[in-house]
Amino acid sequence: MAIVPLQYNVRSLFVRSSSTILTVLAVGATIAVLAGMLSLQQGFAVLFQERGRTDLALFMRQGATSEGESGITLEQCNILKKEVPEVIRDDGGRPMASAEMFLAVRLRKFDGGETNVAIRGVEPMTFAIHGDDVVITEGENFTPGTDELIVGVGLLERIANCRVGDNLQINTSTFRIVGAFSGKGGYRSEIWGDVDRLSDALERPVRSRILARVSPDADLDAIAARYDDDLRLQPKVMNERDYLASQTSSLTTRFMFVGGFLALIMGIGAVFTGTNSMLAAIGARTHEIGILKAVGYKPWAIFVAFLGESLLLGLLGGVVGCLLVLPLQGAETGTVNSTFSEVTFAFRTTPAAMLTSILFAAGLGIVGGVVPAWRASRMTPTQALRRG
Amino acid sequence: MPAAIRLRSVTKSYSKGGQTLRVLDELDLDMDAATFYALMGPSGSGKTTLLNLVGGLDQADEGVVQVGDEDLAAMQSSELAEWRSEHVGFVFQGFNLLPVLSARENVELPLLLAPLSRRQRRQQAERALELVGLADRMNHKPRELSGGQEQRVAIARAIATDPQVILADEPTGDLDRDTADAVLEMLRRLNRELHKTILMVTHDPQAATYADKTIHLDKGKLGRIEENATPTGGS
Repeated sequence: MAIVPLQYNVRSLFVRSSSTILTVLAVGATIAVLAGMLSLQQGFAVLFQERGRTDLALFMRQGATSEGESGITLEQCNILKKEVPEVIRDDGGRPMASAEMFLAVRLRKFDGGETNVAIRGVEPMTFAIHGDDVVITEGENFTPGTDELIVGVGLLERIANCRVGDNLQINTSTFRIVGAFSGKGGYRSEIWGDVDRLSDALERPVRSRILARVSPDADLDAIAARYDDDLRLQPKVMNERDYLASQTSSLTTRFMFVGGFLALIMGIGAVFTGTNSMLAAIGARTHEIGILKAVGYKPWAIFVAFLGESLLLGLLGGVVGCLLVLPLQGAETGTVNSTFSEVTFAFRTTPAAMLTSILFAAGLGIVGGVVPAWRASRMTPTQALRRG
Repeated sequence: MPAAIRLRSVTKSYSKGGQTLRVLDELDLDMDAATFYALMGPSGSGKTTLLNLVGGLDQADEGVVQVGDEDLAAMQSSELAEWRSEHVGFVFQGFNLLPVLSARENVELPLLLAPLSRRQRRQQAERALELVGLADRMNHKPRELSGGQEQRVAIARAIATDPQVILADEPTGDLDRDTADAVLEMLRRLNRELHKTILMVTHDPQAATYADKTIHLDKGKLGRIEENATPTGGS
C-alpha cells in the first residue's frame, strides 16, 4: 500500500511557512494553557501526596471532612492518646501522639491584600512524629509554652511579618518569629507554635486532630470500630495519605475542569484555525493533488497524506505549547486549599503532563484535518487538474 | 507488450451553467499499438476529454474504452488509479511537477507505487532522467530548471514505470520552437526505440508531423485519420 512520500507534505509546510507558523502558534497557545493547568494540577497533587504517610494516623471528629471542621476536646484527646494500643511509644514510654489545633487566619501578603494562612498549634511530640520530615532551616525552633512561632519556608516570601525576627499579631496577642522550617507538602505553607499558647490567642479551647504514629500493621478501621458504641468519643480515623488525597481531590478536579474547559474552548478555535489552514493549503495545491492522482495515487493515500500533514501541524503546535510552559517548571504559586488556607506549590511539567498535552495537540490536528483531507481525497483527477 | 486502444460508442457529457454539453458523441475509434498519434481539432472538439478517458483520469458516460485488455469503463476509481500507475504515463502542457520535490523525486513519484526497493527505485528514476538528458539536473527543484528541462523531467516521470501508453496533452504548448522540437524528437524516439503507444493532443500542425497518424476530432465525433508517410524526427 503506497503512500504519498512524507517529504512532500513536510516540505509543503515549509513552503507556506507563514500559514504554518500561524496554525502552529494557535495550537501552541491552546496546548500551553492545557499543559499549564496540568502542570499546576501535578504540582498540587504531588505537594500533598509526597507528604502523606501511611504510618501516621489522624483522629478527628466523626463527620468532619477536614481538620478545619474538626473539634476534639482535651479530655477526648487524652483518652485517645492513652487508650489506643496501636499508637507507638517513644523511648521514654510516651505515646507518639500529638493533639494539634488548626485554624486559618487572615494575614497580609507582601504583594498586597490578605489571604488565609494555616496556623497550627503543635505539641513537642509533633516533631518526634515527623522526624526528619520537618527541619529547622533558619533560626531555631519555638520554645514550648512561649509566644514564639516558626514559619514554613513557603510563606517567607509571600506573607508580611513572617520573617525570622518579625513580630506577628494573631488576634490580640503578639508572637515572635524565631525560626523557619521546611516540611513535606503543605506544612511548608503553615505557621507553627505552641498549641496551648495559640489556642489561648485564638480562643479555641478544642483541638482539631490528633496526629499519631501507629504500628505498620495497624487497622485504622478497627480502631474506629472500637469506639462505635463509646459515649465518650467516636473518632474518625484515617491515615495521613488518605486524608491528604481526600483534601486534594476536589481541587484537583477543579484544576482539571478549568484546564479542560479552557483547552476545549481554545481547542475548538484551534481546530477551526487548523481546518482553515488545511483547506487553504489544499485549495492552493489542488493541482498537485491532481498530479498525484494522475500518477496513480489512490484516494485513501491522498486522505492519509493530508491528514498526516494536519497531524504534523498539531504535533508541532503541541511541542511549541509544551516549550512555552517548560520555563514555568519549579515556579511557585499559591492557592487556597480546602481548609481555606494559603498553600504554595510549584508547577510540575511532568512527562505525563507533557505527553497528555502533545496527544491532545495531535487530536486537534487530526480533527482539524479530517474534512480537508476527505475533500482532497474525493476530488477526481480531472477536477483537481482543471482547478489548479 | 504494446497496447492497442479501442473506443466504441463513447459518449461523455459535462454540465456547465445548468446546461449539459455533450463533448464526445458516440465516438468509435481504433488505435494501433506502438504507434505515435497526434490528436487535433478545434477547441471544444473533445481532444482532452478523449485523452482523459484513454488515460483513466475520467470515465465515459456510455460506451467502451479499452486499452490493451482492460475495459476502463468497468473499473472503480481505486482500480483506475492502480491501472494508471502501471500502464500509462502522462505529459501535460504545464509540466505538472510537484514544486517541493527535486527532479529525481518527481520521477520517483510513480515508482513509489511499484513493488521496488529504494535502490531499484532510485536507479530506475536516474535511468529515466539520463534517457531525457538530465542526469546532471537530478537534484534540482523544478523552479531551478528551464521550461524545456521541466518538460523533459515530466517525460522521464511518464516513462519511469515503463508504461505501454504515453498520453501527452499539448506537451509543447508552453515551449519555444527549438525546445518544442527537442521534446517532440524525444517522444518520437520513445515510440521508435521503446515501442510506446503515444497519443498527443496538439494544436500545432508542425508538432503533428512527428506522429505516424493524425486523428481529427470535430464536435465530439471522429473527423478523419491522416497517415503521415514520413514522420519528422526519430532518425
